[in-house]
Amino acid sequence: MKSLKQKRPQPPQPAREDMIVFAVGGFKFAIAAGAVKEIRGMEDLHAFTLGGISGQIAKLKYTLERGGTTYFVVDAARHFQLPASHASRVMVLRNAPTGVLVDSTDRIMEISSLHALPRAFTHEERGWYRGLAVVNGTVVPVVNHNAFLNRAELEILRSGLERVRGVVTV
Amino acid sequence: MIAEGDKSYVLFPLGGKRFALPAETVTELARPDSVQTFPHRTPLLTGVLVRRGRIVPVCDVAQVLVGPAAPARKFYLIANCNLESRQELTAVPVTGECELASGALVPRTGQEPPYIRGLLMMGDEIVEIVALEKLIAVEEPV
Repeated sequence: MKSLKQKRPQPPQPAREDMIVFAVGGFKFAIAAGAVKEIRGMEDLHAFTLGGISGQIAKLKYTLERGGTTYFVVDAARHFQLPASHASRVMVLRNAPTGVLVDSTDRIMEISSLHALPRAFTHEERGWYRGLAVVNGTVVPVVNHNAFLNRAELEILRSGLERVRGVVTV
Repeated sequence: MIAEGDKSYVLFPLGGKRFALPAETVTELARPDSVQTFPHRTPLLTGVLVRRGRIVPVCDVAQVLVGPAAPARKFYLIANCNLESRQELTAVPVTGECELASGALVPRTGQEPPYIRGLLMMGDEIVEIVALEKLIAVEEPV
């Protein structure tokens, strides 16, 4: 069969970046190591119950108090719309009051290129992932860490928390 | 010999029926390879293949074209698909070997679903020509 000329595909972005590999529901994912402040166990988590808001953001399971900051802990299995999994670790994100509940964390690896998510993928995954990495022939989605809780969700949570605590911000 | 107005098509089988893609869009017929999966919500995509360093989504069009009873897919037909004004490769699992044929496109009658671009008359057989980019966008398999 004749191979025909085609537009050049978008080359993967050639940027070296350290990634933490983690697992949820039997799938492997990667997250930029620079986006993670701390990886910890499940201790000191408090069940999240904030009247009305708990139902709006169903993936939000716990809060965690660290250094005067309240972190909102998201269940990664719910975020990726997977069946319930066996979470055992929390990745506390840097520069956002967000924690991510995962089954396990694996290793840090360096990726040399990030492939764009093919445009055939058109649903929620476009927000979930920054792209795809290929590690020894295996495709690992690289998560968009800002999508675990987006700005609008964080704003709802902040204002809900302030209301409950009776704190008034100007 | 190709008559004036005729174009080349790749005919691919899905169970007992054959469908066609314009030959100029098809780049390769590949043997089964390991499809890799990760969580996503796009209905017809079953995963991705890594082909020569490129990531190629796998779109199981049989679910729409012939329904859930389609037999096991044996090969991948890899074709260029125009998505958001960009050409991207897409792998279509097919159930048998493909054939290159030429013929004139018979326009749609209006009765066909939007992902059928036209028809090819191959003797007694009517082969539907598929618009892959429209098929990928189908939200619900039949």
